[in-house]
Amino acid sequence: MSDPGQSQPQSDDQTHFGFKTVGKQQKATMVAEVFHSVAAKYDVMNDLMSMGIHRLWKRFTIDCSGVRPGQKVLDLAGGTGDLAAKFSRLVGKDGQVVLADINNAMLRVGRDKLRDKGILGNVDYVQANAECLPFPDNHFDLITIAFGLRNVTDKDAALASMLRVLKPGGRLLVLEFSKPEFDALSKVYDLYSFHLLPKMGKLVANDSESYQYLAESIRMHPDQETLKAMMENAGFEQVTYHNMTGGIVALHRGFKF
Amino acid sequence: MPAPQLLTGGIEMAINNLLSLDPDSPQRLLPLNGKRLQVKLHELPWPLTFAFSQRVDVLADEQQADCTIVLSIATLKKMQDISQLSYLIQQQELSLNGDMHTAQSFSNLVKDLNIDWEEQLSRYTGDVIAHQSFRTARQLHHRLTAKLQRLGDILKDVAMDEKQLAAHPLAVEDFSEQVNDLRSDVARFEARLLQLEQRPKQRKGK
Ligand SMILES: C[S@@+](CC[C@H](N)C(=O)[O-])C[C@H]1O[C@@H](n2cnc3c(N)ncnc32)[C@H](O)[C@@H]1O
Repeated sequence: MSDPGQSQPQSDDQTHFGFKTVGKQQKATMVAEVFHSVAAKYDVMNDLMSMGIHRLWKRFTIDCSGVRPGQKVLDLAGGTGDLAAKFSRLVGKDGQVVLADINNAMLRVGRDKLRDKGILGNVDYVQANAECLPFPDNHFDLITIAFGLRNVTDKDAALASMLRVLKPGGRLLVLEFSKPEFDALSKVYDLYSFHLLPKMGKLVANDSESYQYLAESIRMHPDQETLKAMMENAGFEQVTYHNMTGGIVALHRGFKF
Repeated sequence: MPAPQLLTGGIEMAINNLLSLDPDSPQRLLPLNGKRLQVKLHELPWPLTFAFSQRVDVLADEQQADCTIVLSIATLKKMQDISQLSYLIQQQELSLNGDMHTAQSFSNLVKDLNIDWEEQLSRYTGDVIAHQSFRTARQLHHRLTAKLQRLGDILKDVAMDEKQLAAHPLAVEDFSEQVNDLRSDVARFEARLLQLEQRPKQRKGK
């Protein structure tokens, strides 16, 4: 399938919003609108769109986190807090989890969800932009960003910011849609994401545009090797990635030493 | 597809569902809070780690735990006969390293899950249906208690008799197996419940 109407950013002030090219200033606002409009139905849609498999991708991320009781964890672009909930239990009362997201509506859904799960005490909620994190240097043992990086306008700035707030010895895990390893899978996946997904979005959340954006943003996101190089450029070491579900999703891991 | 995560996810869901049915679970989870118990099966390329808080998280990770149990599935099968236990430890077919208390508390946690099925069900379906369903539930409960009882006994024996090496990891694996069984039982049970539930509705509908 050809890419429907892709355009390239023409100048330094422009960036991608899905396949559209928009002003950099504009993108943050537009992303915010998307997540504002999907916040309430976000969890249901996640299960639907991935047929529940996102839970396994997230479990794998946790298994790779090496998180210990007493540690400090930043779940960045944490949205409705799937990872944060688990980390909260794994770091225990002596540890700390920060659920950070640029979007207040997503944070609110996350906070309510965690509260309903009886998770209190060691989780803080912070509205923050990944590009300029409001945390001290060398602060976190672990940073996770799950399905968040592709929405960030300046990914290099975000990676640099994450490196800064990570402790030496700490690790970053980036869980994100990536490039399917096989052509056949690519085609099926395209059909799914450009045709089925927006329809599902319309049906369940009555919002096909947001899900059209999601599909497009997934396709515009850097592939495995590109993201790996970006992490290395930002200063992360021992960067590796692991493909899941045929590369539809990849988990990148890097350390700060 | 990440198969280990499918397994750990299934086990985790089952254990926690079970625990949530017993009002005493929080109490019994208390001594385990913050602890990790790892089960290494020779046949599995990755260990299963049970991380305890107000619930149980099951991970497939390599990190050091407070207590580690190593054994094979074959040993697990032999363990069905409790009298074999000392022998197995002598033969070094299984080993336990680390904090014995974690192992003991875990056995405590699962051994007498005192599930009041009737009360559980009545919440969803009203007393009448609960009464009807109780026969099925009681059978299920019996099976479960018997199994968990055996598991608890194994753990206790090991902890008491064999100071240096206890062997109850099997217990954990065994437990997981039972949990899986239980899961299908529960599914069947649910279906039956649904039927029962729908009966009065249909009648009313007429
Ligand atoms: C697809 S959701 C992922 C939520 C959650 N991590 C998950 O895996 O379910 C993406 C999240 O990224 C957030 N986000 C987008 N741009 C961001 C930025 N620049 N900084 C922080 N969060 C951002 C959105 O508000 C949204 O909640």
